[in-house]
Amino acid sequence: MSRALSVPVRVLLAAAIALWSGAGLAAPPTLEELLSATDEVARGTSSKAVIEMHVKTRRYERTMAMEAWSKGEEKSLIRVTAPAKDAGIVTLMVDDNIWNYLPKVDRTMKLPAAMMSGAWMGSHFTNDDLVRASTYEEDFTSRLISGPDLQGLPVTEHYVIESVPRPDAPVVWGKVRITLSGAKIPVSIEYFEEDGSLVRTMAFSEVQEVAGRPTPMVMTLQPADAPEEFTKITYKSLELDVQLDDSMFSLQSLK
Amino acid sequence: MLLVRLAWRNLWRHKRRTLITASAMAIGVALCLWMMALIDGMMLTMREVMVEERMGHVQVVHPDYPGKEVMYDTLDEALLDEVSEVQGLAVAAPRLYGGALVGNEEGSTGARVMGVLPEREAALTGLDADIRVGRMLSAEPAGEVLVGPGLVDELGLEVGERLTFMTQSADGSIGNDAYEIVGVFRSGNAPMEQAGVYLHLAELQELLVLPGQIHELTITGSDPYGELALEAGVQAAIGERPTEGDGAVLVQTWQEASPDTAKMLAMSQSSGIFMLGIVFAVAAVGVLNTMLMSVFERTRELGIAKAVGLKPGGVVLMVLAESFWLGLVSAALGAVLGGALDLYMARYGIDFSASDGEGFDSMGVMFDPVFYGDPQPYQFVLTTVCVLLVALLSSLWPAWRAARLEPVQAMRDQ
Repeated sequence: MSRALSVPVRVLLAAAIALWSGAGLAAPPTLEELLSATDEVARGTSSKAVIEMHVKTRRYERTMAMEAWSKGEEKSLIRVTAPAKDAGIVTLMVDDNIWNYLPKVDRTMKLPAAMMSGAWMGSHFTNDDLVRASTYEEDFTSRLISGPDLQGLPVTEHYVIESVPRPDAPVVWGKVRITLSGAKIPVSIEYFEEDGSLVRTMAFSEVQEVAGRPTPMVMTLQPADAPEEFTKITYKSLELDVQLDDSMFSLQSLK
Repeated sequence: MLLVRLAWRNLWRHKRRTLITASAMAIGVALCLWMMALIDGMMLTMREVMVEERMGHVQVVHPDYPGKEVMYDTLDEALLDEVSEVQGLAVAAPRLYGGALVGNEEGSTGARVMGVLPEREAALTGLDADIRVGRMLSAEPAGEVLVGPGLVDELGLEVGERLTFMTQSADGSIGNDAYEIVGVFRSGNAPMEQAGVYLHLAELQELLVLPGQIHELTITGSDPYGELALEAGVQAAIGERPTEGDGAVLVQTWQEASPDTAKMLAMSQSSGIFMLGIVFAVAAVGVLNTMLMSVFERTRELGIAKAVGLKPGGVVLMVLAESFWLGLVSAALGAVLGGALDLYMARYGIDFSASDGEGFDSMGVMFDPVFYGDPQPYQFVLTTVCVLLVALLSSLWPAWRAARLEPVQAMRDQ
């Protein structure tokens, strides 16, 4: 049902829409209801977004502009529009596969499995983050830790959920901790190593109304071992339920 | 002195016996010589393949680069000019390393990219001679790439085809370009064989957005064993540099750069010496046996010598002198025989290719299947000294025994 808990992503398109199913529930929520609030695109929906990605590392700082489209859970397309050097590069994601179209040489390259853990577009996101499909019910065991109105659990301002991957799940994390506001809007997702140390934190901010729902427009991914580094994704615009043709998500359309 | 001359004459009074004995010993000497030349040749080949063709004798790197290979730990390529006048320097070649996704219409895979100045690399590693199909990169950047057999197999590449590169550049942008495959190389460097490609240095600098930067300056000297002097010369030429941070420079010998290789070469050397020891021991036993027999055979003759007044000390001296002469003759014969073997070995080598004739892979190093001997003067000196020593030692006991002979009994001996 819900997917990509291990990963914030498809997030580029999706996490913002995440709240759809969760928002507006009557309290107190159940675990399932809270988790569905961190879901990504609901099945069958489509989206179009204009995104700005700001990457700061020890070595460089740059901002990229992109357009992104998604259809369902399995198809998405991101095209770089700026800066000029990278403009026109398209990343196509269908199921677990990633292709990059390089306009300079007019070639499409499929990313081999061995390179899935590499950085995507010089950001802190990995290629895996873009496509990894961890189905929540299959891959994780979750439990509520605390919340403002949960029976028998400590009272905190936010809802906190901890999810541990099942032993044989194809998940790289040891543990994932999800924090949602009292209004069930995602606040952060923290990713932990097997040994319990924090690897990275995804923070959500700038909540705005999109199509009548409160939606965080900014996501910041921050690696724990490099406090000065981050990748910040800002939605400049977000449209939902747009009309997209399946043929758009094909190798032919890349060119 | 008289006895020494007498001994020489004694030797030739039984020409046939002497020649048979000397030939037997000479074969031992020749075998030892051949073995030494072969082992020295193997060591030389290993040094060439593992040291000179890969690391050079001396390397200049950013101190943080080795081991971590972070793309930002670079050197200024101007260092190349600064070291050009160093005494004893044969070739200095700048190198830039990177990783990239490379592919064609068939598929794509990760590759190790080496940016080189083609002429320098050819002089350093003989890369131009390693081209099996096609040709070497042009001296000036021309959008060309050399690929290794690993990638050729994996992607079904052909000379003339265009190979697309995609990589993460130093400024965070997506480096991408396509280059024409002009040649396929085979070299002794296993990692490059498997997934390596060569680009012109300037083109890799552009792809990675590392203008004027290199990761390594690889230097070989004219003396293959002169790395310490070369290191000092290079260090003096580039002067004092910071030891960390940007602009830091580390000059190191190949032993410092790769202690494992140094250890491995030392181990090979020891095992070579061990094998040589066995061959020498076998040869020594042969000489010993021959010497014992030849003295015992002459019991009667020595008895007569004593009967006509030769003192025991004189007998010992005469036998030892004969052994010395015999050893010398054997050494000379052996040197001729061994020298001939050496000449053959140095020219034609020994072919170790088991079946495919493609060389063999040992600890990440591809070796040429043909090993060549490396004859050296010291090998002749060493074998000569050894054969003389063994001959003298092995005749001590028979000489002492001969000295104590009762003339009458000895003359009866048959």
